Amino acid sequence: MSIPTNPKIEQKQTQVVWKRSRKAKNIELNDEMVKVYVWELPVRIFHWINAFSIIVLMITGVFIGRPFVSASIQEEAYYSFLMGWARYIHFFVAFLFTINLAVRWYWVYKGNEHATSNPFRFSFWKEAFETIKYYLFMKNNKKHYIGHNPLAQLSYWIFIGLGSIIMMFTGYYLLFEPQPESIYGKMFMWVAHLFGGDSYSVRSWHHLVAWGFIIFTVVHVYMAFREDYLQRNGTMSSIFTGYKIERKKEALGEHDEK
Amino acid sequence: MKRKTILEEVLDRGFTRRDFLKMCTALAATMGLDFSQTDQVVAAMEKNQRVPVIWLQFQDCTGCSESFIRSTHPKVESVLLNMISLEYSEALSAASGHQIEAALEHVLEHYPGEYILAVEGSLPTDDAFLTVGGVSAKETFLRAAKGAKAIIAYGSCSSWGGIPAAYPNPTKAKPITHFVKDKPVILVPGCPPIAEVMTGVIAHIITFGKLPELDHLGRPKAFYRHRIHDKCNRRAYFDAGLFAESFDDEGARQGYCLYKVGCKGPTTYNSCAEMRWNGGVSYPIQSGNPCIGCSEKGFWDNGPFFVRRAKIPASQTTINPETVGAIAVGVTAAGVAAHAMVTAMKKKDEHHD
Ligand code: HEM
Ligand code: HEM
Ligand code: SF4
Ligand code: SF4
Repeated sequence: MSIPTNPKIEQKQTQVVWKRSRKAKNIELNDEMVKVYVWELPVRIFHWINAFSIIVLMITGVFIGRPFVSASIQEEAYYSFLMGWARYIHFFVAFLFTINLAVRWYWVYKGNEHATSNPFRFSFWKEAFETIKYYLFMKNNKKHYIGHNPLAQLSYWIFIGLGSIIMMFTGYYLLFEPQPESIYGKMFMWVAHLFGGDSYSVRSWHHLVAWGFIIFTVVHVYMAFREDYLQRNGTMSSIFTGYKIERKKEALGEHDEK
Repeated sequence: MKRKTILEEVLDRGFTRRDFLKMCTALAATMGLDFSQTDQVVAAMEKNQRVPVIWLQFQDCTGCSESFIRSTHPKVESVLLNMISLEYSEALSAASGHQIEAALEHVLEHYPGEYILAVEGSLPTDDAFLTVGGVSAKETFLRAAKGAKAIIAYGSCSSWGGIPAAYPNPTKAKPITHFVKDKPVILVPGCPPIAEVMTGVIAHIITFGKLPELDHLGRPKAFYRHRIHDKCNRRAYFDAGLFAESFDDEGARQGYCLYKVGCKGPTTYNSCAEMRWNGGVSYPIQSGNPCIGCSEKGFWDNGPFFVRRAKIPASQTTINPETVGAIAVGVTAAGVAAHAMVTAMKKKDEHHD
C-alpha cells in the first residue's frame, strides 16, 4: 500500500489557474528546482495577525460567555476589573481582526495568483472533490498545488470568509446594541433580523460559530504539518518566509496553457 | 351626546384640579417625559375625551391584567376611570354574558377608528384550540382589529407567542402580528409587563394623539430602549469579575453579579432596572434572582432559567456551547490523530516499496 500520488498524474496541471500577470515570482535553484515566492509579505502578516487575534478572541470570548475564573480580591467591586479587561481586549482585538481582514480582501485583488480563489468555476469543485478523495486515502486525480489546494481554499471561504463575516456582524451588533440611537447602533441594527431577531439568538450565533473557529484551527494546523511532512517542500517555513521549493516544471508549467 | 373630556370626568368624580395636575405630573414622569412637558399632558387631558378600550384575552393566563391593576403611577383607578373607558374586558368588566357582548358591539359600531384594542395572549393557528361560542379566536380578533385606532399587544404571549408558543407549541400559537398586517401594533412584552409601562403606553396615545416611538422590533422606545444588564445595580460586580456561584454562597450574600447563576440580563430589554416593580420597590435582580429574560422573544425556549446557554439557530433547542464545543473539538482531534497515523503508516510502506 502506498499513498496514492501517482507521479504520472502529478504531471497533469491544475485548471484552477490565474492570470499570467499575477504570476508568483520564481528563483531558479538548479536545473530541476525553483524557489517560488508563494505567500507575499502582506499575506504572511495577515496570517499571523489573524491567527493571533483568533486565539485571543477565543480565550477572551469564552471567558465572557462563561467566566472560568473570578477576581482574586473577594471584596467590593472597586478593586478589580477582570471582566472589564476581558471585554476591552476582546473588542480591541476584534478591531485588529477586522482591519486585518479588510487588508487581506484588498490583497485578493492586488496580490499574486495564490492570493485569490475562484469557487465559481466548475474545476474548483471537481478538484476539491479529488482532494477530498486524496485525504480519505482513496484513488484520486489530485494535482499538486503550489498555493492552497481547492479544499484548503474552500475551508478558508467557509471559516475565514463566511465565518469571519458572521463573527464580525454579530459581534458589532452585540457591541453596539446598548446604544441603538448612536450611528454605530443604527449601522448594525439590521443584523438582528438576519440572525433570529432577538439579542439572545444573535449571541448564540456568535458563541457557536466561535467554536467552529477552534475546529478549523485544529484541522488546519494538522494539515499544514502533514503537507510539510509528505511533500518536503517547505510548507511550514513558507508561512514565515513566503517561499516554497518546487519542481521547476510544476512551478512554471502551471501557466503553460497553450 | 357630547362625551366628557378627561378633566371633566375627573372633576365629576369629586377630585380637585390640584389632584388632576398631580396625576398629570405623575403620568409625564411615567412616560419618561421631561418635567417641562407636563403642560402638554395637562393640555391633552383638558381637551381630549376618554378613549374607549377593548381588552381581548386569548391564550393567556390573565397575568397581564393582574399586573395592570397594580399600577401605582398613575393609579389604576384613575386610568380606568378617567383616561380610558374600558368597554370590554373579560377579567375586569362588571357586566357579563350578553350584556357585555352588547357593549363590545356598541364600541365596534360607534367608535370605528377611535378605540384602542388591547390584546393579552397569543392566537392559535388551528381554530380547534380556541373557539368561544362558535366564534374562533382569530375571527374575534380580526373583527375587533378592523376598526381599531391602534392595537396594543400586552405581554410576551401576544407580542412573541409566549408560553403557548413554547416548544412543542401544540396549538401552533403565533403572536398577533402574524394575523394583522395593516394596523399599527405596539408590542409591550413582559411576563407580565410592568404595570406603569402598560398604562404609560395608553397615556402616551391619549396625550399626543399618536403612537409612541417604536424600536426596530415594534416596542415603545421609552420603555424598551435599555438593556437590563446596562442599568443593573449589580453591574459593577460583573465588570469586576465577581460572581455568585450558587444561590447560597458568600457571593450571593454580598450581592455579586448573577451571571453565573443564569442571568439573562445581557440579552434582555425592559424597564425593570429603572422603573422597578410594585411602585418602584424592587425588581428580581435587586432581590437576588437572576433575570429570566421574560420580555424577550421566545424566552421559554432560551434554556433553563438558572443556566446560560446558546440556542441552535432556527430551533427551539438550547445547548451548553462549551460542552458541545469541547466534544466537537475532541472528536476532531481524534479524527486528526487517526488520520495522522494512517498517513504515517502509508508513508512508511512507500519507503519499503
Ligand atoms: C473569530 C473571532 C471571534 C471569536 C472567536 C469570538 C468569541 C466570542 C465568544 C465566545 C463570546 C461569548 C458569547 C456569549 O456570551 O455567549 C463573545 C462575546 C462577544 N464578542 Fe466576540 N468573538 C469574535 C469576534 C468578535 C468581533 C469581530 C467582535 C466585534 C466587535 C466581537 C464582539 C463581541 C461582543 C460585543 C461580545 C459580548 C460581550 C459582552 O456583552 O460582554 N467578537 N465573543
Ligand atoms: C501553528 C499555527 C499555524 C501554522 C503553522 C499555519 C500554517 C499555515 C500554512 C503553511 C498556510 C498555507 C498553506 C496552504 O493553505 O496550503 C496557512 C494558511 C492559512 N492559515 Fe494558517 N497556520 C497556523 C495557524 C492558523 C490559525 C490559528 C488560523 C486561523 C484560525 C490560520 C488561518 C489561515 C488562513 C486563513 C490561511 C490562508 C492564508 C491566505 O491565503 O491569506 N492559520 N497557514
Ligand atoms: S446580575 Fe445580570 S444584568 Fe446584572 S450585571 Fe450581572 S449579568 Fe448583568
Ligand atoms: S428582570 Fe428580567 S425576568 Fe425579571 S421581570 Fe424584568 S425582564 Fe422579566
